[in-house]
Amino acid sequence: MSEVDYELEDETYSAKVDRALLLRIIGLTRPYLLWTLGFLGAVSAVSALDAYFTYLGSRIVDEGILAGNMQVLWSIVLQYGVIMLFQALAVFIFIWLAGFLGQRIKYDLRKQMFNRLQTLSFSYFDRTPVGWLMARGNSDADRVSDLVSWGFLDITWTVVNITSTLIFMFILQWRLALLVLLIVPILVIVASRFQVLILKEYRQVRKVNSQITSAYNENITGVRVVKALVREDKNLNEFQDLTSEMYRAAFRAAWLSALFLPIVQMISALAVGVIVWYAGANTLTAFGLSIGGIQAFVSYVIFMLWPIQELARVYAEMQRAIASAERIFSLVDTEPEIFDQPQAQPAPNLRGEIVFDDVSFGYKDAQTVLHHFNLTVRPGETIALVGATGAGKSTIVNLLCRFYEPTAGKIRIGGTDYTQYTLDSIHSRLGVVLQTPHLFSGTVRENLRYGRLTATNEEIIAAAQMAEAHEFISALEKGYDTEVGEGGVLLSTGQKQLISLARAILAQPDLLIMDEATSSVDTMTEALIQKAMERLMKGRTSFVIAHRLSTIRNADRILVLEKGRIAEIGSHPELLKAQGHYYRLYTTQFRTERLAELENTVVVGDISAVGAG
Amino acid sequence: MTSIDYSKLVTENRIKGLWLMMRGYRWQYLVANLMQGFSAGFKILTFILLQHFVDKVIGHPELGWQVLWIALGFIGLAALEGFATYLSGRIAGFASEGIAQRLRDFLYDHLQHLSFTYHDKTQTGELIQRVTSDVDAVRRFFAQQAIQAGRVVLLFIIIWAVVLSLNVRLGLISVVVIPVVFGISLLFFREIGKRYEKYQSLEGKVSTALQENLTGVRVVKAFNRAEYEIAKFEEKNHAHYEQGKRLLISHALYWPITDVMIGIQQLTGYVVAGGMVIRGELTIGTYLAYAWLMIWLLYPIRNLGRLLIDMSEARVSYGRIKERLSQTREPLDDGKYQPQDDLRGDVRFQQVNFQYEGEKAGVLHAIDLNVHSGQIIGLIGPTGAGKSSLVNLLLRFYDYNSGSIQLDGVELRDYPRDYLRRQIGIVQQEPFLFSRTIRENITYGLGRPATDEEIYAAARAAAVHDVILSFPDQYYTVVGERGVTLSGGQKQRVALARILLKNPHILILDDTTSAVDSETEEEIRAALKTIMHNRTTFIIAHRIQSVMLADQIVVLDKGQIVQLGKHQQLLAQPGLYRRIYEVQAQVEAELEQELAN
Repeated sequence: MSEVDYELEDETYSAKVDRALLLRIIGLTRPYLLWTLGFLGAVSAVSALDAYFTYLGSRIVDEGILAGNMQVLWSIVLQYGVIMLFQALAVFIFIWLAGFLGQRIKYDLRKQMFNRLQTLSFSYFDRTPVGWLMARGNSDADRVSDLVSWGFLDITWTVVNITSTLIFMFILQWRLALLVLLIVPILVIVASRFQVLILKEYRQVRKVNSQITSAYNENITGVRVVKALVREDKNLNEFQDLTSEMYRAAFRAAWLSALFLPIVQMISALAVGVIVWYAGANTLTAFGLSIGGIQAFVSYVIFMLWPIQELARVYAEMQRAIASAERIFSLVDTEPEIFDQPQAQPAPNLRGEIVFDDVSFGYKDAQTVLHHFNLTVRPGETIALVGATGAGKSTIVNLLCRFYEPTAGKIRIGGTDYTQYTLDSIHSRLGVVLQTPHLFSGTVRENLRYGRLTATNEEIIAAAQMAEAHEFISALEKGYDTEVGEGGVLLSTGQKQLISLARAILAQPDLLIMDEATSSVDTMTEALIQKAMERLMKGRTSFVIAHRLSTIRNADRILVLEKGRIAEIGSHPELLKAQGHYYRLYTTQFRTERLAELENTVVVGDISAVGAG
Repeated sequence: MTSIDYSKLVTENRIKGLWLMMRGYRWQYLVANLMQGFSAGFKILTFILLQHFVDKVIGHPELGWQVLWIALGFIGLAALEGFATYLSGRIAGFASEGIAQRLRDFLYDHLQHLSFTYHDKTQTGELIQRVTSDVDAVRRFFAQQAIQAGRVVLLFIIIWAVVLSLNVRLGLISVVVIPVVFGISLLFFREIGKRYEKYQSLEGKVSTALQENLTGVRVVKAFNRAEYEIAKFEEKNHAHYEQGKRLLISHALYWPITDVMIGIQQLTGYVVAGGMVIRGELTIGTYLAYAWLMIWLLYPIRNLGRLLIDMSEARVSYGRIKERLSQTREPLDDGKYQPQDDLRGDVRFQQVNFQYEGEKAGVLHAIDLNVHSGQIIGLIGPTGAGKSSLVNLLLRFYDYNSGSIQLDGVELRDYPRDYLRRQIGIVQQEPFLFSRTIRENITYGLGRPATDEEIYAAARAAAVHDVILSFPDQYYTVVGERGVTLSGGQKQRVALARILLKNPHILILDDTTSAVDSETEEEIRAALKTIMHNRTTFIIAHRIQSVMLADQIVVLDKGQIVQLGKHQQLLAQPGLYRRIYEVQAQVEAELEQELAN
């Protein structure tokens, strides 16, 4: 549903055409200057030749037919034919080049956006919804590239067409041409007014349409509640209100569009009337018009309609594309908030002592979420972070990974302020296991290799074995070459967790960060995950946002956080004795967890197997 | 709006199906097409007028009085042509939007009337996306494609007839190229369709790659894989770009090639007709009219191929709609027995067997259970034992396969579904809240206006009133908006309040407090005690505490009732119930031991 909203936001129009932005958009074509000039040249030629053909048509009538000269007729037709072939070539060239340019600009824009996104900091992604970014990469990129190709093409076509038409009209009979010229501004004004009306209506249609989609969405996902509460009739009534609104807007848009063309045609018929009147009134006078000339004038007036009526649409699209470009440029211009200091050195390793020295942190324009945090962690120590949602567990971990930097205080690794190290050297030595394991579409092997791109197949298997994942992977239909589906949907949660552990093992990190999953998995898998985690933590400095009792108990120290501050710190027995926060947390957790474990065993029916602890 | 029995669509062929959809709009549609014919006629008259003007008036000063009339005639004809076009568009819009709205409403209603079995099996995401785009495809067919194709064909027939009447030889030579252009256009748009589809699927891949990268941004950063990701995206982006070029080359070839073909046909016309004028077989006015008519004869053919291919896309959508309609609705008010009064709440299961459609193994086996009005029934047992299935039968979400369930002495099958669902309130295992205000969620499906006091009372009983008051907009907070996300336990409690407000005669709580912490659960349990009084209640639970006060505790395992009785009774006998109890006790013991260490 959210994505629909972001698409709707795209309906915004830039109020007026911003020249600087337009120049920057034009600047996008710079690497392809020759192509751009080529297609603009080709389209100008095609457009001018169209007007010339009409002129030739009048000469066929006047110099060939009316003069009774078959030879002249043939020669003009031949000339016509040859130029037509050239024009066809030009048509080929402009479609090809304009299309190429459009595709290329889209490709470039996407590349630029994607590359920029890879450099941006966590805080950017916290602020910016995925749907918003997706809309930039999809519809906005489309619109800008369409403007650069087909939009510019339409504009060139129109300008050249009108100019050359006027030139030929003036050649044929300049007095009449002046009269006809009066029609042009009327056409432009009426056409653009009308298009604005129609576009407004279509926007309304799109808006209601997205509401209809979400109504469907909600009714189908909530169908069990709907049925249980017998709400079908009322739902239908509500839905009919929406579709009636849709009907009104769509019908209005339909009849407005149906009215548009006739009105434009009426205006040009007015011009035809003027031509006929002029030709009739001036027969046999020096100001008169040849019969071929009448034919040509009528054609010019009628064919001038097409580009002019398109003009308003093109202008509206241009406004929209400029608004799109503005958003794209704002993304491309965003600077990462965390970057290497000028004198940054690569970190030799992250195995040293880690010190949080009076660290505070707050998100931009928001409250401080971590207050004067102090902690010293010995190499190889395991720290369990415990506390309610929002207590600051993730903040500590994100600071440690340098996904964020402290707003006050320092974090030192092996005695050096970590901002003195390069980001790359820190990140490449981290092992991070997230709460909801994210896999990429591709095979199991590809996902594992994500931990270390140079890993051999043997190393991958060894890592999977260490993570207790080898067995289930081998049992999959294609083993390590099984596709996991988008986001890993084809695997169970437990399997995804095991793979993400193996991936972290493969990375051979100095420092391990784990956010334990809360979602329940079956007992067997649970035990496997436990085992794999222990292996992974062994001998490495580890920070674990812990939810499972065994993880908490096994940690060297437990950090209980409350509202961004340390509430308690110590080992498991120490904290239990204190009978404080941890005590309460632990007893509640103990009940839920053990109960869930044991109930599973009851199903199997072998209660004696469940030993104490 | 005429209502239509769309179920006939399923058995009819396509033409009859479309005809059926048009009911109530048929004559409008006919007029819309007729108007296209008129519009074409007026257009031709314009050229005939031109012919008359050039042949008869020009060079004849004595007919000078006609000039003004002819000039006005052109304007008048344009007005008539325009009016016919406008009417056609307006009427077609009226008809097609009406047809679309009716279909949209019907499909919506149809989907909400399909059984649980259907919804269990269907992927929602795809269903929703398809439903809107399919209706739109049908709408486009009626609004544009059918009308435009009609226009192209009418225009062709009328103009050709006129050209033939002007001169048979001209008529015959003017259409030589048409079958060729038509054929090429058909082939071209078919090919374009294929290439476009591939282009779109590659576009989808680019989009997916971006989305995956963005949703997995934490993993990308954590493993420092920016460059790898850039290379991966580049590959997809580039493939899309290449396919875009392939798509273009088809367009870049099609348009100039057909341009040249039509151009040659035109030039041939000029030479032949021009020669005839020179030989005195044709007037110059006729030549001019012919030159115009040729344009309207030839160029529209180029788009006919596109129209036909577009129409075939509508065919695919039509097929999908038809398939969806072939699913039969679950009648809501259908029942041999039409009760007038409220339920008392006597429930009797006799040898009930049930299995889900399309599944091999049964879910419930030979269930025997006798519930008296006002009793509280606890259902306990491992996951998958059939607890939820058993209660779902009572609302006829599914129908049992054999055996008998009697409600107040009447077979359940004979009750209309809507009566059962109004009388029985169920709080489902996985609560679903709509993205409306909390107030609307609580009053959802109530069927009458509710006072604030009533709503607050229900929310208090569900121990969620205070939570709601802590939200920025309190009862008017929209669920899921601006960061207001309810925890699982809170959702469960809102769903509970919704049912409590409904005040049903039989209450079913399907593991309603699984995500609620134990203190709040105790609070809810206390409130429920008064509510359950004198009301048949089924409670599905995992914890012994939730069911121990029940009048009857049903212990289910693998679809069978393995034990039945009161708490003390069941504790006294060996079996599953006691094992569950022991496990819970063991946990407490373990905890104590653990703390003592």
